[in-house]
Amino acid sequence: MTMTETLQNLYLGFTVALAPGMLLYAFIGCLIGTLVGVLPGVGPLAGISLLLPASFGLDATSAIVLLAGIYYGAMYGGSTTSILMRIPGEAASVMTCIDGYAMTRKGRGGAALAIAAVGSYAAGTVSVIGLMLMAPPLARFALRFGPPEYFALLLLGLLVLAYMSGGSLPKSLAMALLGLLLGMIGIDPMTGYFRFHYGLVELGDGIGVVPVAVGLFGLSEILLTAGQAAPEVIKPRLRELLPSRREWKDSAWPIARGTLLGFLIGIIPGSAHIISSFVSYAVERRLSKHPERFGQGAVEGVAGPESANNSATSGAFVPMLALGVPSGPIPAVMLAAMMVHGISPGPLLIQQQPELFWGFIASMYVGNIVLLILNLPLVGLFVNILRIPYPILYPSILVFCLLGVYAVNGSVIDIWIMTMMGALGYLLRKFDFETAPIVLGLVLAPMLEMSFRQSLSMSSGSYAVFVNRPIALVMLAFGVLLLVLSLRPLVAENWRKALGLQGGANLEEKNSSSP
Amino acid sequence: MMTARFFIAALAILFTLSHGTEAQEKYPNRNITVVAPFPPGGVADLTARPVASVMEKILKNPVVVVNKTGAAGAVGMSYVANSKPDGYTLLLALSSISIIPEADKLFDRKPAYNMDQLVPIALISADPTIFVVHADRPWKSVKEFVADAKKRPGEISFSSSGVYGTLHMAMEMLMHSADIKLKHVPYGGAGPALTSILGGHVDTLASGPAVVIPQIKAGKLRPLAGWGTKRVASLPEVPTFKELGYDIEFYIWAGLFAPKGTPEPVLKTLRSTVGQVVKDPEFIATMDKIQTPISYLDAPEFQKFWDKDAKMLADAIKRIGRLEIQEAK
Repeated sequence: MTMTETLQNLYLGFTVALAPGMLLYAFIGCLIGTLVGVLPGVGPLAGISLLLPASFGLDATSAIVLLAGIYYGAMYGGSTTSILMRIPGEAASVMTCIDGYAMTRKGRGGAALAIAAVGSYAAGTVSVIGLMLMAPPLARFALRFGPPEYFALLLLGLLVLAYMSGGSLPKSLAMALLGLLLGMIGIDPMTGYFRFHYGLVELGDGIGVVPVAVGLFGLSEILLTAGQAAPEVIKPRLRELLPSRREWKDSAWPIARGTLLGFLIGIIPGSAHIISSFVSYAVERRLSKHPERFGQGAVEGVAGPESANNSATSGAFVPMLALGVPSGPIPAVMLAAMMVHGISPGPLLIQQQPELFWGFIASMYVGNIVLLILNLPLVGLFVNILRIPYPILYPSILVFCLLGVYAVNGSVIDIWIMTMMGALGYLLRKFDFETAPIVLGLVLAPMLEMSFRQSLSMSSGSYAVFVNRPIALVMLAFGVLLLVLSLRPLVAENWRKALGLQGGANLEEKNSSSP
Repeated sequence: MMTARFFIAALAILFTLSHGTEAQEKYPNRNITVVAPFPPGGVADLTARPVASVMEKILKNPVVVVNKTGAAGAVGMSYVANSKPDGYTLLLALSSISIIPEADKLFDRKPAYNMDQLVPIALISADPTIFVVHADRPWKSVKEFVADAKKRPGEISFSSSGVYGTLHMAMEMLMHSADIKLKHVPYGGAGPALTSILGGHVDTLASGPAVVIPQIKAGKLRPLAGWGTKRVASLPEVPTFKELGYDIEFYIWAGLFAPKGTPEPVLKTLRSTVGQVVKDPEFIATMDKIQTPISYLDAPEFQKFWDKDAKMLADAIKRIGRLEIQEAK
């Protein structure tokens, strides 16, 4: 497609997207999405699913615009409670909790929210350009990811994270392992056996990420606070709502990198926006000149993951629009919405329904601007939540956590899981363990297992399937390289220590800060 | 404190409202819940919503669709099976309703529910699955395909929505009837199974017409046959397995159920309501859009259909047996 054609099509798209009715739906979608995202636990999937029936009465393009607005609104809204209260509004905001909340405790909550809003906007806009110009070729590339490629990618992701994680490596690995083990609960995808279900049908699908994330992060924080002397309420002043010049500067590259990472990870069918935020966080920590600042309120730790998860949103639309196949549960619901309106999603959608495709693209540009306009003023409002005294604020948060987690599946079991994870998170944090790797392990475990065993099914049990396929081979080779690189300093320093060349006391810090 | 008390009070009121009042007068006199045991956007949900919205018009009471998902539908189905049989909790289930108790039996599990805990109200739709192959694969007909599969047992692959899932069942019937062995690569849902064949990672797939027709039209997949007794209207050139001499039949169907013990007059009201629903122009138009053909059967005929279907599925599950991990060759 030539540039002029693209521009003509985009013009067509904007005439659709800027019609007053459509603008209204984009606005309503973003608003609902933001509110849904703010509610702890209720993420984009729950939001879209709950509101799908409401869109049945609209015409196809309005419905898709509304649902897409909810989707990226929720992706953004999830950051608000993460930053202000350390409660992941949805699973992709887990990483934002760490430094976002640390910033809030330093009185920089407003700045963190503003950075998250601008980062999301930039990521959203840039990734729509990617979607617009390259959807069909990217989608064809994404299809080449079969189970072996997918397995290699996930393994690479795990290794990247291990390579880049800060803090104590054994402790992080132990937590990731715990997450992977939790991920083993549920129906065995290849044989149908129930594993570790203890007679509860609800555990057949495994343990949900949402109750675990809300429990480990949100509840544990509430419990920890309860055990301390009442913390001083940080009253945000207006001029402190905006990021400083330095914070802007520190955020620019993380936003750019997060955007790219998120888009690429979002395209791959079956992959998740959750992973993109983890990888982005790890990359930023590794590239930072001051990795020790991560966890203490590093603005990069907010900018990167928040951009990545918003950019992944657009990436996820690539296979959906170009091929009519869902890249995850959220696009699957959007595809259903199209079908309800009599549009059969498929490879011919872009040719047959140009006003839908281009209207959708244009509405995403518009939606991102709407989101920014909507959210920057809300920063001031949200920050004021912190003025509520703790004895009132925390019990209310607890109630919202309960409601939010229950609302996702209507399952009481989920509430128990959240409660237990809250207690576990409390203990782990008392003993100085990071809890984020548990969530990551839990997200990755089912995907790793499935792709690994599917690959072996495809090859009738031969492990050669992982090295016979070029994409998988390249990724695995890269993973091995990272593994060697990450082990090198460990070995080297132990060696030096053994020779008595270096004191062992600061070994741990050295490991985490130098490659 | 105020907030906490307020919430407790509010919750208490909500609970009394939803559970306290009894149906003593004419049925229905309050909200009817239709449980869809699968997430929004799936066939069960997309069928349940138009059914509910037309029922609402006829019964003059709100009919609400609730998605109770989990464990391949077992959570929602066992919820309704164990609900109070008063006609206010109904189930919109798919073919898999007959699979889950059989699979539980196979694994010596305490079944999540038994089929006799539910009584059929009406069959609403039945969609035959279509057998498709990746467009780059050589087979142009079932005959060519079966001949090749016999030459290389266990080498040609198919994807499915999951083990013991509906798409797996359809393929198992084909393998049994044609006496061939194919390689199974299960996925977590019909969407990923489709993605997999489009990427050429597997060779074949059985899937509902609505899902594969756009890909067939775009030349990505080639249909070889259908599992219905009749050809699919939008694919008139594609033969049925029955025409080709394979005695197999498979539908992904959707039907409405009530818990066992629901009073006869209530069932009668529900049956006649669904009978009107399927003739409603609004309903017909919606089902047309989601490309799911209406195939209505009233309770007695539906019971017969269900018994036959359940027997067929039970046989297939017994043939598959417990899946064990294959040893590396």
